Amino acid sequence: MSFEEIPHTADIKIRARAPTLASLFSEILKALMQVMYGESRGKTLKKEISLTGEDTESLLLDFLSEILYISEVEAIVFADARIIIKNNALHAVLQGEPFDIRKHSGGTEVKGISYSGLLISSDANGYMAEIVFDV
Amino acid sequence: MLEGITRTGTFEWEVPIGYVPGMRVPGRFYLSEFLAKTLETGAVQQLANVATMPGIKNNSLAMPDIHWGYGFPIGGVAAFDLTEGVISPGGVGFDINCGVRLFTTPLMPQDVTGRRDIIDALYNTVPVGVGAKSSLKASAQALDGMMTKGARWAVEAGYGIEKDLARCEENGFMKSPDIKAVSSKARQRGIPQGGTLGSGNHFLELQIVREVYDKNAASAFGISENQVCCMIHCGSRGLGHQVCTDHIRLLEAATRKYQIRLPDRQLACAPVTSPEGKAYFGAMAASANYAWANRQLITHAARQVFQKTFGIAYEEMQLVYDVAHNVAKMEEHIISGRKDTVCVHRKGATRSFGPHSPDLPGELADTGQPVIIPGSMGTSSFILKGTEIAMDKTFGSTCHGAGRVMSRSQAKKRISGREIAVNLARQGIIVRAPNETAISDEAPEVYKPSAEVVNVVHEVGLSSLVARLEPVGVIKG
Repeated sequence: MSFEEIPHTADIKIRARAPTLASLFSEILKALMQVMYGESRGKTLKKEISLTGEDTESLLLDFLSEILYISEVEAIVFADARIIIKNNALHAVLQGEPFDIRKHSGGTEVKGISYSGLLISSDANGYMAEIVFDV
Repeated sequence: MLEGITRTGTFEWEVPIGYVPGMRVPGRFYLSEFLAKTLETGAVQQLANVATMPGIKNNSLAMPDIHWGYGFPIGGVAAFDLTEGVISPGGVGFDINCGVRLFTTPLMPQDVTGRRDIIDALYNTVPVGVGAKSSLKASAQALDGMMTKGARWAVEAGYGIEKDLARCEENGFMKSPDIKAVSSKARQRGIPQGGTLGSGNHFLELQIVREVYDKNAASAFGISENQVCCMIHCGSRGLGHQVCTDHIRLLEAATRKYQIRLPDRQLACAPVTSPEGKAYFGAMAASANYAWANRQLITHAARQVFQKTFGIAYEEMQLVYDVAHNVAKMEEHIISGRKDTVCVHRKGATRSFGPHSPDLPGELADTGQPVIIPGSMGTSSFILKGTEIAMDKTFGSTCHGAGRVMSRSQAKKRISGREIAVNLARQGIIVRAPNETAISDEAPEVYKPSAEVVNVVHEVGLSSLVARLEPVGVIKG
């Protein structure tokens, strides 16, 4: 499992790889948190969310948009997630820690998750996604 | 040279119908040969994608700061027919009414040069960066006020003077917000963030007017050489981001319902007059108003710092103008010789209304609308004036900034935030930011030269140069 930032002029483009679709989602969550809050990660909090989408792409967008919302309103920085995806329905157990300005001010705000440039594919080696975060 | 594009003038380029399937009108953009070298194919593709949308008028347009965004290209402008046309959050962006304003002070360069204490005081007064919270403690009613009356709400609450409002696009608020179309999630995000700057390319700068090109216009705007000014660049914060996110998903369903075929899901749209289109427009207008209130609150905080530090009067700090650069508006334009109301989308583009346009206060009627073009960190910003040519060619629009040429990941590798801060300090520019990345992400080198971009709009006549400002202090979000 991995993610990397690939060049994009205006925004942040991430390429992630993982053996399963669920672990791909969790990898992109980590990328999003790294962009926003830098490296520091704690797992003192737990939160569960459930979502449904029309397809894999909209499910991923809804999941990440929900993370942006919860992270901002509840002031939580997420470190990891255990995710189950079945028929475009997602259940995630999220782990994280309370936002602390001294620890988590190393990043930049993500304004939204874009459909433009969104790509999710799979082959014998697993899943791959490319996604653009508007910053 | 990009394949399939025709050069139709010194600075004018056309993307012909057929560049992507389904284009209804040609694409048109304005660029110098030098700037054309850094134009990305992705940006042209996005410009062409917009040309496929129903009811588009004349051309899908882009300003010389065009670059690769999401949905519309950044620098994109398009007008849609009210009967057959559509409205799309992809033509506005996540940061609804991200915009910029400038206010003057009676101070001179020697009052502020090298004064780190002033930059520190501003930095400590205006909340900046990720997770920064407002000291405002807004109530639900205050939020309704911000979304309904924008900058007027702030002025009535004591955060400004009546005169400020005439110097804002739309007089500081759009008149048809629909706060019921703003979700509770968006409201929750908006309440704690009123008066915060945000991060990314948002900033507050202390600048000096270094050169005046058009004395009459400068005098009408209240600008003179060597004046110390303050520029503020920010938007509608989490509230606007959430409104965009919510309505893209709602409009995706509408796109299917109205059987609109689109090349990019981010362009999700609905007929302007459909219930879904109206709901987005109303929620977007409420977010735009929130952004005007937000910039007014930050202006108030900055004015108080100057008042306290220099003992100057509040009224001595006059707003030059406040422009939106991510917004959709119903505007009257002359199309094929006939007056028509259209839905103009500006995504990273600035309104540039010429003399005697509606919405201009009396003292600016003969001059045209002030246009404020911020430079990248540490470089020149410009004041221009709106023109008749912009009314003819671009639905009264011009560029909004420098436009990026380098990704953030490349920027970080190339130069550290600390080095940039040291280099800028050598030029007499003091920088404060929550972290080094905030500085390296926005280094001057990652943008097109602002002077080159501004030169193109000046030469084409989309706006006309009035003055150049140089920074002496920068606060990065």
